[in-house]
Amino acid sequence: MLLETLKNLTLSIRELRGSFNEFKIVVASIFLGVFIISAVGSISQNLKSEIKNKRVEMLGGNFELSTTYQEFPKNIKSWLEENGKTTHIIELRTMLSYGSQSSLKRRIVELKAVDNNYPLVGKVLTSPFQNVKLPLGTKKPEKKILIDKSLKDQIGIDVGDFVYLGKSKFKINGIIEKEPDRIFSFATFGPRVLLSTQALNETGLLKAGSLIKYKTKFIPNNKNKINLATLNDLVKGTNVSIRSIENTTNNFNNFVDRTSIFISLVGLITLLISGAGISNGVKGYIIKKTKNIAIMKSLGAKNSKVLNIYLNQILMIFLISIIPAIMLGISIPYLFSPIISQELFNTFEPSIFLQPISISFLYGFIICILFTILPLLKTYKIKPIELIRKSSENSLNETSYKIKGIIFILICILCVLTMNLINDKKLSFYILISITGSFIFIYGLTNLKFYILSKIKFRLGTTFEYVRKAITKSNSFARSIVISFSIGLSLLITLNIIESSLDKRITVAINQQAPSHFLIDIQPQQIEKIKNIALSFLGETNFNSQPMLRGRITELNNQLVQGIKVDKEVEWVLRRDRAFSWSNKIPKNTKLISGEWWPKNYDGPLLVSIGDKIAKGLNLKIGDKIKFNILGRSFEAQIFNTREIIWENMDINFIFILSNSNIENAPHSWIATTKNVGQNLNNSFVEKIVSEFSNISSISIEESYKSIKSILNLLIIIINSIALITLVSGIIVLAGIIDVGKKDKLYEVAILKILGATPKRVAYLWFKEYFIIGLITSVISLIIGFFVSYVLLNYVFNIEIYFDFKMICILTLLVPFLITIFSLLRMMGLIMSKPLVVLRSYF
Amino acid sequence: MTPKIKNEKKKKLIELENIHVDLKSSFETINVLKGINLKIFKNESVGIVGESGAGKSTLIMCIAGLELISKGKIFFKNLPIHNLNEDDLALYRSKNIGVIFQSFNLLPSMTALENVNLPIEISGNFKNNKMAMELLTAVGLKNRIFHYPHQLSGGEQQRVAIARSLISNPEILIADEPTGNLDKKNSEDVIKLLFQLKKHFGSTLILVTHDTFVAKLCDRIIRIDNGLIVK
Repeated sequence: MLLETLKNLTLSIRELRGSFNEFKIVVASIFLGVFIISAVGSISQNLKSEIKNKRVEMLGGNFELSTTYQEFPKNIKSWLEENGKTTHIIELRTMLSYGSQSSLKRRIVELKAVDNNYPLVGKVLTSPFQNVKLPLGTKKPEKKILIDKSLKDQIGIDVGDFVYLGKSKFKINGIIEKEPDRIFSFATFGPRVLLSTQALNETGLLKAGSLIKYKTKFIPNNKNKINLATLNDLVKGTNVSIRSIENTTNNFNNFVDRTSIFISLVGLITLLISGAGISNGVKGYIIKKTKNIAIMKSLGAKNSKVLNIYLNQILMIFLISIIPAIMLGISIPYLFSPIISQELFNTFEPSIFLQPISISFLYGFIICILFTILPLLKTYKIKPIELIRKSSENSLNETSYKIKGIIFILICILCVLTMNLINDKKLSFYILISITGSFIFIYGLTNLKFYILSKIKFRLGTTFEYVRKAITKSNSFARSIVISFSIGLSLLITLNIIESSLDKRITVAINQQAPSHFLIDIQPQQIEKIKNIALSFLGETNFNSQPMLRGRITELNNQLVQGIKVDKEVEWVLRRDRAFSWSNKIPKNTKLISGEWWPKNYDGPLLVSIGDKIAKGLNLKIGDKIKFNILGRSFEAQIFNTREIIWENMDINFIFILSNSNIENAPHSWIATTKNVGQNLNNSFVEKIVSEFSNISSISIEESYKSIKSILNLLIIIINSIALITLVSGIIVLAGIIDVGKKDKLYEVAILKILGATPKRVAYLWFKEYFIIGLITSVISLIIGFFVSYVLLNYVFNIEIYFDFKMICILTLLVPFLITIFSLLRMMGLIMSKPLVVLRSYF
Repeated sequence: MTPKIKNEKKKKLIELENIHVDLKSSFETINVLKGINLKIFKNESVGIVGESGAGKSTLIMCIAGLELISKGKIFFKNLPIHNLNEDDLALYRSKNIGVIFQSFNLLPSMTALENVNLPIEISGNFKNNKMAMELLTAVGLKNRIFHYPHQLSGGEQQRVAIARSLISNPEILIADEPTGNLDKKNSEDVIKLLFQLKKHFGSTLILVTHDTFVAKLCDRIIRIDNGLIVK
């Protein structure tokens, strides 16, 4: 058996000699897809492993205990200090003032006040480098702070400058290069400012009811004895939340997983598109080898022997392509380690993992076999008599059932692999259905178009007839070109429509509906005064305010939330602290979906109004009970109504609004919005408020939108780049098709030239041929792009579809020109060929 | 024409009964062979002559199991081969038939030695290069064994093809106009070699040729015209 295999292998190698060049497209096609999958897998595995190693540093300790509004109960604080190492941190948002005393400017920042023990793990790196644990001066008269580089870039302040926080003046002592217990910073309202707790206490910013977070990082002395359960017992009945290294890294791992699944799927789609390239490449190779196959058969080779010889060759080519692809893929973490070190970890030491290697190998192998098996079966059709003349017999049916079985099994393995990669049955089911559906849809639509084109009865001139026949003939590769490019172009068009629709919706909301500014951390005793100022500046209708405090949901219908299964989309509601408001008056612009608002003079048991979609996701209905823990006390409320929440209007949107009760006596703050009645008037009002009340911070919606948009733009750039990768694989397929069809095209150009066609005329004919193929691709992609974006916008985003016609026109024309120009450049040599030389060698 | 040997004393190797070959295209059906009856005996050499398109090559390809017949029966050593499937026909060829084509049909990616060994490699009977070396020496290419086809002249390529046809020690050698692509000198050398080796190996030779001089070298000449044997 082994000897037989070795003999077959030797024969395959001998037959392959000098033919490697024929496989360049196949090699490129396999390489691209496998490289993406192995690179993404390697990066993701490395990140997860690094996170596992550095999770204590990332959390800042083994545990993080936190409360909102109130400091830790004293007994918990002292227990933690007795049983391990601790550092206490206070976090809040506030306005940082800068510039000259006479014309101070303000910018919202995220303050982080730390004690002398900070950080428990790792080190704060600053620029310029200071060889002290934490370069924060606390002695009067000069207090020092460290600021984020983004703050320096945004407002132009630098080391040595003075700024104001609350009523204190600070000197900037350094720029934060690395904050050990913070990996990602894009989910914050403002840049980080680091100062000492002592200095914070003197700013006057710590006011009851302000949204202040108290955190304690904790490393137990006896890690075996003190675990999460011990700490849960310790904080039982209080409003202290605990994060351990496990659940912190889980969130990050989930993020890495989701991102890598997304990019791996792109690799898979690229591989599937490349499949067309592989298939065409092998088809062309077999056509070129027809004579060799006939010779071997005439010398007594059975069909299976011939198939074996060529399958061995494909496997060798597969190995040749996949080994560098995997090697390059696994070296990506090494190549990017300086960037990863700089952006995520202080030090990053990449390793090689087996899983991404095996997954990319398997994907590549299955796709390769799946797409080569049918072209390879063409060897069955080749008869030895073809050495004398063309044969018309076909014996493919003899094996078709066996082959269909193999194809079915390979597709099943591919599905299982994808499900394993995604690790979410529902999601993988949708993804597999979408991929299969898209391919069937594109394939069906392409065939329909070509069928219609082939059935045209009327003549549109000789040139058009020539082109029509060329692209609809049975052995034309036009279908493969259309299918290969349609996927990428549909994706680009879909993204463009979604982006313009979202952009339009947000722009309209900002211009017409959304508030201009948010004012946060307003103290209860300040609200009436502010309302009066607002009345004189903005009028009653343009100022909206609501009380706010934060708490956690602990039970739904008397069941602890930890054991309840809810819709994945709304899981976040139960995860952490949420903001609550209360009102006996129905808030402005509220649309009730079910139930009614409670009476204005209601004074009974606590009632709650909840966002309708959230209620559905949590499987809640009117009459159900929700238990909240607010500031360490439990409150149970009954759902009285559900209402529509339109997040895109960017207004005050509380998921939970309670009825008036004792809760209003708890320390709380107010949040307010201002509507744009005139840019200057609004800005003057906001400026007056933040300068008069130093604890109040303002957030500009326009600026927030800009930062959201920059994140959105980054995502769009990533997805567009991915769509462009699929277009690159389309170009590889096209290159392969042109190579396969070169001989026929050469013959065609020779005949046309003998009949009097000039090279210009031939180029014009081919221009028309490929441009029409490109246009068919564009029309199919437009249909798919419109359909998919309509479904997504209508049923997922719930917003109206909007087209940026200019961009869509550019995208629609991009592919026809790309196909035409690339094809003409690649075939330029053929146009200049000498007809007689060609015809002599053709026969 | 008188046969040079008495057929009835010889052992029957091939028998064709009422062979028809119809080639179908989308436009028409061409009757290439219209009822051929023929017996070929062991060790004889048969020359098949006729005009272009008469059906000579088709006839020998039927004997080689390369062409499927539309009607009739073919027996090899009294065993039917007309009803064999593709794989059995391949086996029949690899054991019993050596084919020499007009256009040599060597694999360009293999050396002369590898080309000669190809039939026994395909059948799984390859042990060593001894036999192939002997054959290449016999055809006068001892110094060209590691040359690729494009490094050989037409005559040399046909000699390699002859050596290849003999590597399995087949009972029947089928040569389809083996000198058609060669000049006069090379043609004479190749024919001389073919008959020498036929004699040496004791094979039966079926030779299609346009050249009456070459045909006359055979024990028997069969003329084909319009798909039928004519006297």
